[in-house]
Amino acid sequence: MLSKVVVEDVLTAAMSTGGDFAEIFAEDKDDTDMILIGGKLEKSISGKIYGIGIRIFKGFNYVYAYTNDSSKNNLVRVAKEAASAIKGVKKDIVLDFNRGIVNNIHPIRIMPESVSKRQKVDLMKTAYESAKNYDPLISQVKVQYLDNTQNVLIANTEGKLVEDQRTRTRLLIQSVASKDGMIQSGLHFPGALKGYEYYDDIDVKAYAEDSARMAKTMLMAEYCPSGRMPVIINNGFGGVIFHEACAHGLEARCIAKKASVFSDKLGQKIASELVTAIDDGTIPNEWGSSNIDDEGNATRKNVLIENGVLKNYMIDKFNGRRMNKEATGSGRRESYRYAPTSRMTNTYIAEGKSTLDEIIAETEYGLFAKYLGGGSVNPATSEFNFAVREGYIIKNGKIDRPVRGATLIGKGAEVLEKIDMVGNNLDFGQGICGSTSGGVPVNVGQPTIRVSEMTVGGRDSDR
Amino acid sequence: MDKKKFIKSLFEKGKKAGFVEMEVYMTSIMKQDMNYYDNDVESFENSLSEGVSFRGLYNKKMGHSYSEKIDESSIDMLVNEAMGNAKVLDNDDIDTIFAGSKEYKDILTYNKLSEKITVKEKIEFLKDMEKTGYELDRRVKAITYNMINDKTNSIMIANTKGLNLKYKSNFYKYAINVDVEENEDIKSAYRYELSNDFTKLDGHKLVNNVINEAVSMLGATSIQSGKYPVILNSYVSAGILDAFAAIFSANKVQKNMSPLEGKLGEQIADTKVTIVDDPFMKDGAFTKPFDAEGVATKYKKIVNKGILNTYLHNMKTANKDNTQSTGNAYKASFNLPIDIAPTNMYIEIGKKSYDELIKSTNRGLLIIDVQGLHSGLNPISGDFSVSAYGYEIIDGRINRPVNQITISANYIELLKDIEDIGNDLKFIAPHNGYVGSPSIKVKSLSVAGE
Repeated sequence: MLSKVVVEDVLTAAMSTGGDFAEIFAEDKDDTDMILIGGKLEKSISGKIYGIGIRIFKGFNYVYAYTNDSSKNNLVRVAKEAASAIKGVKKDIVLDFNRGIVNNIHPIRIMPESVSKRQKVDLMKTAYESAKNYDPLISQVKVQYLDNTQNVLIANTEGKLVEDQRTRTRLLIQSVASKDGMIQSGLHFPGALKGYEYYDDIDVKAYAEDSARMAKTMLMAEYCPSGRMPVIINNGFGGVIFHEACAHGLEARCIAKKASVFSDKLGQKIASELVTAIDDGTIPNEWGSSNIDDEGNATRKNVLIENGVLKNYMIDKFNGRRMNKEATGSGRRESYRYAPTSRMTNTYIAEGKSTLDEIIAETEYGLFAKYLGGGSVNPATSEFNFAVREGYIIKNGKIDRPVRGATLIGKGAEVLEKIDMVGNNLDFGQGICGSTSGGVPVNVGQPTIRVSEMTVGGRDSDR
Repeated sequence: MDKKKFIKSLFEKGKKAGFVEMEVYMTSIMKQDMNYYDNDVESFENSLSEGVSFRGLYNKKMGHSYSEKIDESSIDMLVNEAMGNAKVLDNDDIDTIFAGSKEYKDILTYNKLSEKITVKEKIEFLKDMEKTGYELDRRVKAITYNMINDKTNSIMIANTKGLNLKYKSNFYKYAINVDVEENEDIKSAYRYELSNDFTKLDGHKLVNNVINEAVSMLGATSIQSGKYPVILNSYVSAGILDAFAAIFSANKVQKNMSPLEGKLGEQIADTKVTIVDDPFMKDGAFTKPFDAEGVATKYKKIVNKGILNTYLHNMKTANKDNTQSTGNAYKASFNLPIDIAPTNMYIEIGKKSYDELIKSTNRGLLIIDVQGLHSGLNPISGDFSVSAYGYEIIDGRINRPVNQITISANYIELLKDIEDIGNDLKFIAPHNGYVGSPSIKVKSLSVAGE
């Protein structure tokens, strides 16, 4: 994307006022976004995201600038302007690039650009038909198809010069069920670091039908009762609980400023012994994976918690300075418009021994959160919240009835201690995690787990 | 590349390819953000980004494409992608390129004084706030964000029907996040001030308020689950209205995805409730003379004394409903398709002050913050359930801090259940629309706690 000469000149300009590290992140990304509603293709839009971000460090401070104009003159001007915010004495730098070969562990078989738009529309229509025909109560179905291919070049004054290509595709299927003025919806949103071959690997019809089933089930459901109770959180996207309740607090962004409940706790027991948690950006072709992170470091498998003991944080280069620790391949950003920071990739709780049936059978009364929605957390207190997309009340070890409108709230630090059963059915769900460096694709994951007590927000009382 | 030349060349190539009418929408965003931490400028971000969006009618279908690479090399891509996108559309919508409104209101959207504000002034401001914050209360453990965002937005629309419009706007946001600690209990609070005039940002007041708020939450506990009369303070009420803004979109209504479908002219809220969309509001972050389709914006009451007066329309949805666009066509970014959003939308103020609302409450809850608005609500049904904190009110007085609770309701039912409206209109950070509300008192909400 940029020649070595341009990279050298830009980095030299960036260091001209005494910065101690400079980096270039160049991005060229092609995006496709299509929306089908009511069986008709409503929207189709595609185009190019293109720009260059320049970052300069001096000690615990950084400057970031970006531009869309990749001409050498402009880039050098932007770098100099950014450098002017650094007050120091120029040091001579010698750049000796070690052009890194990126080992591609996420092969793409069918590039999305090689597939016609018509074929993508047909796939969306298949999903639409499957969901719409599931039940007469299904009043509307929305299908969104997304794919993108992002080319990045990352170079820095430590001699790094690497390039990578990431191709992702995703399908969102939302079914709406309605009856007598009541409306409920069901949603699935599978995605992967894959090309169009992904749709040979997954059963689109099954996802579509299940989104319709979820909408219909929730339409027939009563409001969820409120109060404190045991909560069983299902596998797959249920892992969003660990993502929100704990893992955000393990990102160096919070740890470096001691603004997390998990600051200064390495080596200490912070969770139930049943909990081993991992962030792994290397899992082949998973939604949150990539060969290198957005600082140019190879992604890694980072064990965060092992049998309840805190082992590691997720660290980016800048926050690593304050912590005096090496980066862990966790520096990510949505695009060149953001300076990278510590982020998750594919984060999950490792498998335990219980089966789903055992977990339900051993619960006298509680909530079974089959599918969770999104949520958020305050890392300083670890207080989190998230929505239950599909829930059931469990009575006497059996599923009693579906319930809607539930929210789970609590403190991550407390919930981790209260995990008293861990299933043997690890699975992943896909999400876009929003934080200071923008929205990045992440997998959340876990086997089915049980939390002995949590606050469930609902509308009715029960028992 | 010169923009005029670029547009001319793009329209020429588009015409050759078979486009009948075409339009470009260009944005230029200048940003300067800085965060001050531990007695120094921790981060300083400076940027200028430009994007072009192209759309055109090809066989009566509107094809869209975009690029951030604004040069000759992108023109073929823009034309080909837009054509490819037009070819696969199969909706029955009638899409048009607009020749222009009769007149556009001459309004001030840009504060020229902002150009005189120096980086040094901003640094001094942040330095002062950090120092003030740590001195105010010994329980302040960390000021993790102490940040000024400065954004100038320029929008230009030009089309083959001769439309050529532009405007520029600017906005400052000063935000602070404070963690306080006492007896191993940590509480944090985050608040911000917004203005297009830097000199109007009252940092000291904000720092004072944010620290008071965090400290006041120390020792908070939950409350028994049940139904309570609830006061939602202005930020919370505005946040919920903002999250539900899409229910007023004619696009959602036409797609059977709004709880307000079929409710035009009906009583959907208490008679005390009037919701205004005012694109001409002074200092509004969404103050603008025209919308994303080039249609002149206009002032309107979406809900007037509880009655749903109008949906928000762009040209496409207006055409479908046989009515006029309300000037609410919106592009969240140059690379997103045209949708619908409010401009400056707010609930009109009532008579009681914030304190009077509290005084008039025998027993209930005052909610000062909610979390999870992006996930804990369903804009199709109007249901929401979000994590919240605030205070218990007993005999018209704040009794104690309450947290670890959720509040749940259906927003349409809540609007009908509004008992009183305060006179303290506040706006939340602009998002897809600039949304505000006074504090509101609701007869009864479900609260989940102990």
